[in-house]
Amino acid sequence: MKRLLTYAILVAGLAGSAHAKDVTIGAIIPLSGASATQGEDQRRGMELALEKINVNGGVLGGKLSIITEDSAGRAPTALDAAKKLVTVDNVPVLIGEFSSGITIPVGEYIAQQKKVHLNVASTSIDVRKIKGDFYSVIGLDDVSGAFSAQDAIDRGAKKVAVIAPNNAYGQGIADAFAKKFKELGGEVAASIMYTEGQTSYRRELQQLEKSAPDMYVYTAYGKESATINREAFELGLTDTPWYAMYITMCTADSDPKYIEGQIGMDLNYVGPSGADYQAAYKKQYNGDFLSTFNGFAYDAVMMAAAAINKAQSDDPAAIAAALAEIGKKYDGVTGEIAFDDEHQRVTQPYLKLKIASGKVASN
Amino acid sequence: MFDFLIHVLIMCCLYSMLALSLNLQVGFGGLMNFGQIALFGCGAYGAALAYKYDLGFASGILIAVGLSAFVSWAFAGIGRNLQSDYWGIATLALAEVVRIIVTNEGWLTGGAQGISGIKPLLPELSGRSQQLGNLAICGAVLLVALLACMRLTRSRYGLGLKLMREEPQLAQSVGYDIMSLKRGCMIFSGFIAAAAGFIFAHYITFVGPDQMFSSETFLIWAMIVIGGLGNHFGAVFGAFLLQFIFAFIPFVKDMLGLPTEFVAAMRLVLIGGGLIGFILWRRTGLFPEKVGGRADG
Amino acid sequence: MFQFVVDVALRACDLMLIAVGMSAVYSLMKFPNIALAQYAAMGAFLAIVLQRAGLPLVPSSIVAVLIVGVVAVLLNRVLFERMLAIGSSTAMIGSLAVSMVISAIFLVIIGPSPARFNLEITRPLRVLGARITEHQVLSLGITAAAISVFAILLFKTDLGRCMRATATNNLLADATGIDTRKTKTAVVAISACLAALGGIIITMKGEVNIQTGLDLLLPVFSAAILGGLGNPLGAVGGAIVIAMAETLITNVNFGPILGQDLVFLPAAYATAGSFVILVLTLLWRPRGLFISEVKRV
Repeated sequence: MKRLLTYAILVAGLAGSAHAKDVTIGAIIPLSGASATQGEDQRRGMELALEKINVNGGVLGGKLSIITEDSAGRAPTALDAAKKLVTVDNVPVLIGEFSSGITIPVGEYIAQQKKVHLNVASTSIDVRKIKGDFYSVIGLDDVSGAFSAQDAIDRGAKKVAVIAPNNAYGQGIADAFAKKFKELGGEVAASIMYTEGQTSYRRELQQLEKSAPDMYVYTAYGKESATINREAFELGLTDTPWYAMYITMCTADSDPKYIEGQIGMDLNYVGPSGADYQAAYKKQYNGDFLSTFNGFAYDAVMMAAAAINKAQSDDPAAIAAALAEIGKKYDGVTGEIAFDDEHQRVTQPYLKLKIASGKVASN
Repeated sequence: MFDFLIHVLIMCCLYSMLALSLNLQVGFGGLMNFGQIALFGCGAYGAALAYKYDLGFASGILIAVGLSAFVSWAFAGIGRNLQSDYWGIATLALAEVVRIIVTNEGWLTGGAQGISGIKPLLPELSGRSQQLGNLAICGAVLLVALLACMRLTRSRYGLGLKLMREEPQLAQSVGYDIMSLKRGCMIFSGFIAAAAGFIFAHYITFVGPDQMFSSETFLIWAMIVIGGLGNHFGAVFGAFLLQFIFAFIPFVKDMLGLPTEFVAAMRLVLIGGGLIGFILWRRTGLFPEKVGGRADG
Repeated sequence: MFQFVVDVALRACDLMLIAVGMSAVYSLMKFPNIALAQYAAMGAFLAIVLQRAGLPLVPSSIVAVLIVGVVAVLLNRVLFERMLAIGSSTAMIGSLAVSMVISAIFLVIIGPSPARFNLEITRPLRVLGARITEHQVLSLGITAAAISVFAILLFKTDLGRCMRATATNNLLADATGIDTRKTKTAVVAISACLAALGGIIITMKGEVNIQTGLDLLLPVFSAAILGGLGNPLGAVGGAIVIAMAETLITNVNFGPILGQDLVFLPAAYATAGSFVILVLTLLWRPRGLFISEVKRV
């Protein structure tokens, strides 16, 4: 009842006062379905950003708030949510979704409606096709796959076996990796796209083993990576180096014993501006990052708030203009953010990392 | 709000077509199809493939019709000797096979990345008029499908379907060919489902394998059980009801300040609980099947 | 080669207990209970919760299995018996609905992150060139023991005789003085316990999350149907066939035959392969491999 009352007052307040400075933005993330872990992590990032913004004076003299909608990992639900946020809640800025297959249709709708859209997780190069005020705060697969390939070569790999999830993300990053790795003179001896949600990946791993690589390269979401790491250890494959693309996500749910000595790359979230954020996250949620996606959600909210303040308006066009200005060089917790002509993040600083004594450490 | 309502209505129309189609199979023919989403996928990929290979709108329809006819024919074919619950599981498995093929044959289907950028149905319009145009198209197609279904079930063929559901041996003995009844029913309802998929693809301009998860089929099942098996209006009403509830749960969440997980759990509870409740307390659904009316009425 | 046997055994053991439970409950209740796959996840979660609360692994597993048995009996009394009175297809949809509600409960209480037991980690042992861990050996042992106990129960005890009699002819069994309702309750409890134990074994070797139950559904169904629903020990064979098919697809190198080093079928087709086997088997033997019952139309 109390909540209802507050809501009623809030609505009355919003409707009654033209000088209200509170700004509401929207977010569409998967809080149920197969990618729920990552969605929850995105929510955490946004929550931390929101807290920080409102403690430090909010936006336009008022408070910033986010209406979060669940996409359930399905395009129709995500579209319902996008249409609700745009036409009913009338938000100027939307953040989301997680998987490229949903971000693309949602993005096309948002572009049509001339709102600002911040992509915080979809790394498929196909998102470049979205026009309008669509900004990717995350580096796309061509960037991260190529970096990993170069890094693997630098670490002495010549013949690798790759395993990645059989979805838009996995197919995209594995392709980008293979392309660059071959360019650099390496050989991809085997490549497996695994089906998500299985109880075991022993057989996939044994198939990889038969190609006798000098390094295993993998990327996997928390749920499956725990299984893959354990089984690789059990099969004795960990005698060969393991290289993780997005090592924090790949090792978050695994027992430290399985992943000791693993090498890999990840986004630069422990840079000068990232350290405070990481500490705040740990304090708030009593644990390490669930995935690598929270930082981008955090940066997106921070950038949106900065753009709203810079524009001194909650008009989407004005925010977009301010965002383009800010996006020339922004110091985020995920490193320096700068957009190219297509509003895609160009500089994506990565870190070369390894697991030492059960912790992710720089290499 | 108005634009949101139009969108919800469009989705209602599309799901109504899927529900009509499944209701024709389950409610009238007694065919326990748990692979309905594959038929929807045929339509969606018909549109997507035609776009990807630049074949034009008409050949998109042809591909959709061809694919859905083939899949329906295959569904009916494996149902030749099977008991209905076995067949239900077999269709579930086949739909999953279709999804796996689509995910893995990237050279043809774009793989898990899907196919994006499909042209809208009314490219010359924009904004609200385009939305209204979409709604008009969906409404018209739904109406045609509804009328066709009604006509079909009132015909001698429709009686044959019902007889097959109740007393397959009797149907056989009075001269109905069970196999061709099944096949005809599957293929005809397959077209309706494919039409929904085809329009959906043009409406959201993106097609991917994630749209073909089995949970979608379960949702359509909930619609027809709640609406009333064996009643066309029931199927349409069930689809509208559930779509509207889903579209408006987020508003309840905002109003009461509930966490977003609530929406996710609520969706599952509503489908599951709705099914259980209707099966136990009102198993005819909201619109009971009309029994004993005149066949030509 | 021995590695192949080990891989098949391990995969089969993931599916076997749940498939046997599915088949057993079908033999008496005459409907495929979709919620059974969720009972497996439920058992695993309960055992983990109890272990975290301070109970050692074995007692917490036993308590978890028993709780799931009780839940299954309650659900059966309150829901499934009433749904079955309407029809087996209705009960199947009802069990689907129950499984959705269980998903919602998992989502709210447990959340999406995977959970695992607190177990000692060991390097794998080498047996005849194959690698296998202690937990895996243990899980194979428990599965074999559980299946043996179930077989003895089915063929050597009075309860087993009542079960088989009721399965073959419910009315006749009733007439000869067998308390069929009690027998059915016993089977419901036993099958749920088997499923829960199956879930715990899977988790002992790895993790469990809220999707696990749904992900297991189709492979378990395939195994149960291949063995012939209603023939519980046939499901053991069904699970082995499915496991062999999947392992062949992922692990057999066709390179030497084709004159190349390494040629594998794409691993993503492993699940599709088992479904295709299911459908093909049903075309050839509509009631599964190990059922010799006369076909009813």
